[in-house]
Amino acid sequence: MNKLETTQRWLTSIIIRPGRLHEKIIAADKTYQLDNSKMIRASRRLSAEGKIHVYARGYVLRLMECMRADYPLLRNLMGEELFDTFAQAYLVQVPSHSASLFDLGENFPAFLKASQPPKTNSAEDGIMFDLPVELAQVERIRSEVTRSKGLEGMEDQLPEEDPLFYFLGTSSFRTSPCLRLLSLKFELTGFVKTVERGEAASTPAKKDNFLAISRKNYSVNMQELEAWQWHYLQELIITGDHYASAKKAAVESNSREEDIMADLLLWIPAALSCGYICTGAQRKDL
Amino acid sequence: MSITDSNRLGLPNLGLGLGLRSRHYDYLLKNDPVVDWFEIISENYMNNFGFSRHVLEHIASIRPVVMHGVSMSIGSSDPLNMEYLRQLKELAAFVKPAWISDHLCWTGVAHMNTHDLLPLPLTLESLQHVSERVNRVQDFLQRPLVLENPSTYMEFSDSTLHEWEFLSELVERTGCGLLLDVNNVFVSGHNHGFDPEFYIRNIPHKAVVQIHIAGPTDCGELLIDTHDQPVPTAVWHLYRLAQQLTGGVSTLLEWDANIPDYPEMVIEVEKAKRVMNGEVPEVPVFQSYQADVISNPVDHQMQVQHE
Repeated sequence: MNKLETTQRWLTSIIIRPGRLHEKIIAADKTYQLDNSKMIRASRRLSAEGKIHVYARGYVLRLMECMRADYPLLRNLMGEELFDTFAQAYLVQVPSHSASLFDLGENFPAFLKASQPPKTNSAEDGIMFDLPVELAQVERIRSEVTRSKGLEGMEDQLPEEDPLFYFLGTSSFRTSPCLRLLSLKFELTGFVKTVERGEAASTPAKKDNFLAISRKNYSVNMQELEAWQWHYLQELIITGDHYASAKKAAVESNSREEDIMADLLLWIPAALSCGYICTGAQRKDL
Repeated sequence: MSITDSNRLGLPNLGLGLGLRSRHYDYLLKNDPVVDWFEIISENYMNNFGFSRHVLEHIASIRPVVMHGVSMSIGSSDPLNMEYLRQLKELAAFVKPAWISDHLCWTGVAHMNTHDLLPLPLTLESLQHVSERVNRVQDFLQRPLVLENPSTYMEFSDSTLHEWEFLSELVERTGCGLLLDVNNVFVSGHNHGFDPEFYIRNIPHKAVVQIHIAGPTDCGELLIDTHDQPVPTAVWHLYRLAQQLTGGVSTLLEWDANIPDYPEMVIEVEKAKRVMNGEVPEVPVFQSYQADVISNPVDHQMQVQHE
């Protein structure tokens, strides 16, 4: 290890490690066999440690601001203090390895999930721990959808409002590249909309539900779906086959296939309008 | 005061510009931007195909755009991140920027990113290391790299070169351009006890492609580069000196926290015209003794638009 690399590893370890600054500096000095007072020029106003403190403190403050900006709904749900505790622990355990700040909070939902206490006898308590995890998943996916490739700029290729198209043109149906599907234990759509209106929201109720998050005209939308709609879209993502997807939707929702086909005929225009699906002609350039 | 001849690596003087920030997207889609050009934070638009990309496409169609990065980590002892450079080049193919810039710094090591602009020991070893990497980046991007002097809050005892000497030698060895942040010179000069005018007089003026101006915060023991205040008088004086010595280069106002409405940003950057006529505004350096003052604020990069 050359001198520059040793110096950079020494300072990075001080900045990124948790703990009291003085103890972190002592530990880094020992690990890299350096002496902070000889590494950094002190001034009349600040010691070497005081100068390192500017960078160590800035690291936490700067990235905490990013976490708060990334997960405003979760912060609202958990409260500022609890959110900050988990976010700081996350930054310590999962330091950024990406050039992009967008990736900083990517693993926060998984971190929250892993932070859950062991399951107790009370199933209800255990499920309540899933609420912040699910909300974090929703926030993260909304951010991904915001940045993902979408269908914008191709609206002029949408078919005419002709019901025959929806009946005959089904082989060209594909899911939008920015469609994301979630199966949740809590009803979060109402909570999200209430908080984003700046109103006080009550704790989301427990209720199994299916969610689609997508984007149309650069606007991210989030809607609960019927089980058969959700399974149809999920299968369409995998197979790209309208009829196989309808069949899967029928099986998963205990419905008759002909009923699903009839319902699809009515729902396809809405799915196109919400940006869940598009025609093959629209997607070919993506 | 004599005016030296200008070269700027053959790059144009774009005039007065602002950073493209998500807070101003809606305004910019509906209104004339007024300013001459825009600077983007490159990392905000890499692998981003949503509304931000749409606004960028619009802006790039009506004004010159410069790509300014914060994660190249040109001074890191880690290997160059070739995937990052590939994405940067891909974005450049879309934006067609007037130039690409980053900072004379390192952001982390062992593949970790602190998302801060960390100072280098200014030694011959560092100079050799950075020069080799700048040359490789320039070869890869097929264009000159423009590097900015960072604000710093500590100096390494091992340093044997002043920052202006390091930059001069780097330009000599690589032919790179300089993004002279006069606010950073002011901040570092205060923090380390050097004369900022001497610094500005002793860099290779022909290599200066762009100038940054911004407002720092006086935290008592140190000046911190907060990018959240109007440009103070002392920085305006340095700006005027730099413009006279370089013969005139593109100017950009940085404002990254407590970002004002767009028209206020325009008013602030246009003060540069009056400064060049000798009318320097009387603006003290903002003082704050709060513990949560942040250098290089980055959370503005996280602001996404859902609806």
